[in-house]
Amino acid sequence: MAQQLAIIVLVDIGGALRDRTLDDNVYVFDNMRFQGSTGEGTGDLVTAVNGSYWSDGSQGTEQVLNWLPYALGGIPPTVPRGYAAERSRQIDQQALDDLRALADGADDEAAGGVNRIRRDIGTRVRSTRGARGLTSRKVLDVTGRPVSGADAAAAHNYATPIITDITGEAVDEKIIYPAEYGSPDMVTDGWYWSATIDTARPGTYAYTMHVQLHELVERDAGLRWEAVDLTCEARLRVVTEPKRNAFTGGGLGLLPVYPAPPAAPAAPPA
Amino acid sequence: MNPKVNIIALVDVVGALSDGGLGNGNLGLVDDSAFESTGRGTPDLCTVVQPGQVVQWSALAVDVQTPVEIRDIVFLGPDGQPAGPARPDPEPGENLDVNVWSGVVPYLAPGVPHRYRLELQMHEGPHAVLHVDSPALMCP
Repeated sequence: MAQQLAIIVLVDIGGALRDRTLDDNVYVFDNMRFQGSTGEGTGDLVTAVNGSYWSDGSQGTEQVLNWLPYALGGIPPTVPRGYAAERSRQIDQQALDDLRALADGADDEAAGGVNRIRRDIGTRVRSTRGARGLTSRKVLDVTGRPVSGADAAAAHNYATPIITDITGEAVDEKIIYPAEYGSPDMVTDGWYWSATIDTARPGTYAYTMHVQLHELVERDAGLRWEAVDLTCEARLRVVTEPKRNAFTGGGLGLLPVYPAPPAAPAAPPA
Repeated sequence: MNPKVNIIALVDVVGALSDGGLGNGNLGLVDDSAFESTGRGTPDLCTVVQPGQVVQWSALAVDVQTPVEIRDIVFLGPDGQPAGPARPDPEPGENLDVNVWSGVVPYLAPGVPHRYRLELQMHEGPHAVLHVDSPALMCP
């Protein structure tokens, strides 16, 4: 089919960080099962790529692959990407409001103190850009609540995995030409890996996806996000068939129009 | 006169499968005939062609990640039903993409729309094939 092929790399990040491997911690899916893909939902996906060629041997249909990483145990990718940063700001605002409410019922000295803090902080400016990086956010759990204290490293949600490269046999053999492209779709963090496929050389070709995860670790008396680079493998099974005329099964012929026109011709459709 | 006329079927696959039909804007047919075709952009396209021209049909998905292929094109007889022997059903997993739907226009009685059934297949399964009987070829 000439449709674009999607390959979803669903990573159990907690398991992968614990085991330090993507083996048994990755579930790979594509939308080509009906065209012969096997191993859907396992770590051993073989994607069927059904190519075609013209009678002169040239490639008949361009096939395109897209790779998207998803996280198990993360905030769903359908939530807007600014969600974590926005939640962090809301939590700060809520803290200030709580403090204000507290001050209203407190003695003069405490109220004066809170008012001074409020003055020092000034008016909150709503930021719409930047501060979306992992490091500038609060640590949130999967329900969007802040986690704090000793539980932080255990209770947080994981950042979406990032594919950093696609290498291996299929690339070395020039079967696929992968590259990372910019995308306006923030579900993909604004980037996605894609490749065109040379379907002229049938065969099964392996490729390696390089996946970067982020681990929250306690270091130097503080929490830090650290990158963990892991890899997983999948395969493409390329087959190719000759194009043929669908009416004749061979070459070009007359269209099989019913010879006699209708007795009472219908008016041409409007 | 251009020796070739292209007819493109633009299909909203998700819409068509959800509605169970190609109406409701789920199918738009467009051609590049030099003559005054009617119904461009609708399922009621009447393409004006001359004998000897080659007509080629292609299906394209509006959402590029959805599958759609032409499964069959059959001209209708006087009773409005497909004429001639039925083509065998495609086998599961068959690559319909290898099919090239093109043919030479024979002599046609002028001014009469020769309607055809356009069958489109989206993915596989009992509800994967939908058709319209409304498009036509006509000689001026």
